[in-house]
Amino acid sequence: MSFLLDGFFQAIKLLSGGNAETYSAILVTVKVSTYSMTCSLLIGIPLGFCLGYFDFRVKKPFRTVIDTLMALPTVFIGLLVYAFLTSRGPLGDFGLLFTLPGIAIGQTILALPIIIGLTATAVENMDDKLRITILSMGANRKQLFLSSLWEARHGIMAGGIVAYGRVMTEVGISMMVGGNIKWHTRTITTAIALETNKGQFAMGIALGLVLLTIAFCVNLSVSLLRRRN
Amino acid sequence: MEAGYEIRSLKHSYSGQTVLSIDHLTVKPASIVGLIGPNGSGKSTLLRLMGLIERPVEGEIRFNGRPVEPFSHEARLQITLLPQEPFLMRRSVFGNVSYGLKLRGDSGNVRERVNEALSMVGLSNESFSRRPWYALSGGEAQRVALAARLVLRPKVLLLDEPTASVDAASAQLIREASLQARQELGTTLIVASHDRQWLYEVCDEILHMFRGRIFEKGHENIVFGPWMKLESGLWGKKLSDRQHVRVPTPPNDESAAVMDGLSLAGGAPAMDDRDFVLRGTVTRFNLERSTGRVFVTVLVENHNFTFVLTPQQAEERMIFPGKAVNICYDPDRIRWI
Repeated sequence: MSFLLDGFFQAIKLLSGGNAETYSAILVTVKVSTYSMTCSLLIGIPLGFCLGYFDFRVKKPFRTVIDTLMALPTVFIGLLVYAFLTSRGPLGDFGLLFTLPGIAIGQTILALPIIIGLTATAVENMDDKLRITILSMGANRKQLFLSSLWEARHGIMAGGIVAYGRVMTEVGISMMVGGNIKWHTRTITTAIALETNKGQFAMGIALGLVLLTIAFCVNLSVSLLRRRN
Repeated sequence: MEAGYEIRSLKHSYSGQTVLSIDHLTVKPASIVGLIGPNGSGKSTLLRLMGLIERPVEGEIRFNGRPVEPFSHEARLQITLLPQEPFLMRRSVFGNVSYGLKLRGDSGNVRERVNEALSMVGLSNESFSRRPWYALSGGEAQRVALAARLVLRPKVLLLDEPTASVDAASAQLIREASLQARQELGTTLIVASHDRQWLYEVCDEILHMFRGRIFEKGHENIVFGPWMKLESGLWGKKLSDRQHVRVPTPPNDESAAVMDGLSLAGGAPAMDDRDFVLRGTVTRFNLERSTGRVFVTVLVENHNFTFVLTPQQAEERMIFPGKAVNICYDPDRIRWI
């Protein structure tokens, strides 16, 4: 067990000493997750709202598809995106394989069904009396949409956190689409996997601690926001 | 502009089942209209359609002479609905009452107007304004919800069972605030309520609803089914105090009987008429201020019957609350709906 303790102390040294390789992986992870979360929130929230709010003929089958996609394995997404982005694939000309935007595309595919599904659930769980109240106050269509969205914000935020958790901790997409290239596409999780294989626990533990800290900060800021509201 | 409604050939259904069907209905501006009917008779649906919350499946609603529907620009700012169960947003009382003003971009004297609306429903600004939505009793929540409508100074206020789930004091404050809106703002009030006494007292028009239709206008006495065949061979309804409402054969078990030609009598009924007499107790006296008529409510088991008398008639018959009376009816004058 002593190697774990040694790893922990070395991890603290790496982080406090500003180890360039460690911080490169952290920066890449933050960058790529910001890209993918921005895209998936921008696309997912309106789609999820429509799915939860409106009744349409194919709503149930559509919902089943979304629920199924929520459990997509990351290696499968990695495989699909790789197949599309490789030079032989339909999007090969864009040169996105082994780049951060390439990883971001895969992570967006991972996060999107989660955000759509959980936003739809939050909207479906809204009391119908809320809609009646907003309408009876004289709201127009846009105000009804924005007010309903605002009232469902806690559920939507929860969806965002779950998606962010999945994006931050996935390995399959980053490894397959990013290629785990040092200084370029090596993320926290791919670095942990590599370093553990090499028997270098210190960097793995250091990056694991960073992951935990990021998750803690995100949850803390969301709960502070909730309390303020 | 006067706020009047005209409804033509209105139909509404849920999951293919028709729940409302109204051929023609007009509501005069600044009037008070009462909707009476059993649960499921279509009162709430009618209010939601008139409140532009839902779009009817068929037919047309005209407001101020123009066809309207949900999100109609002018009408949506003039009509407001208070649903049966109050719904407050996750905000303070002030936030809830000022919400509609904020939606409309109306930012002038908000605090003053909110205070005024709160005082109309008997809530003091100092004690309630900052209170969160979860720290209110049912009656207070309903009054806050009403204040949130009154602050908008609506031309039409639709009230769906506003006093159904509140205590007597809150109910009185809600009634007074609604009438104050009518007096001060000329608001048209359309009220669905089981509180017949209140409706009979204040309404210009009473509409009786049953199975999605308006079948009577006025102060009718209606006994709802189910009906059963009695031992005597007649049809009727057994009351728990061993009395029977005997009726001619109804069209079906669930029909409603409109009891025309009821009369109040003090002494024992003649032997021949005993089958068609109900014994009850006078429970309430209400004066209709506009006409000077007196509404007498007689309770027979848990059925309320209402009689309209002149003050002289009431005096001659020595009718007072608590007095036992006989209600005589003529089975030939029963109409079925």
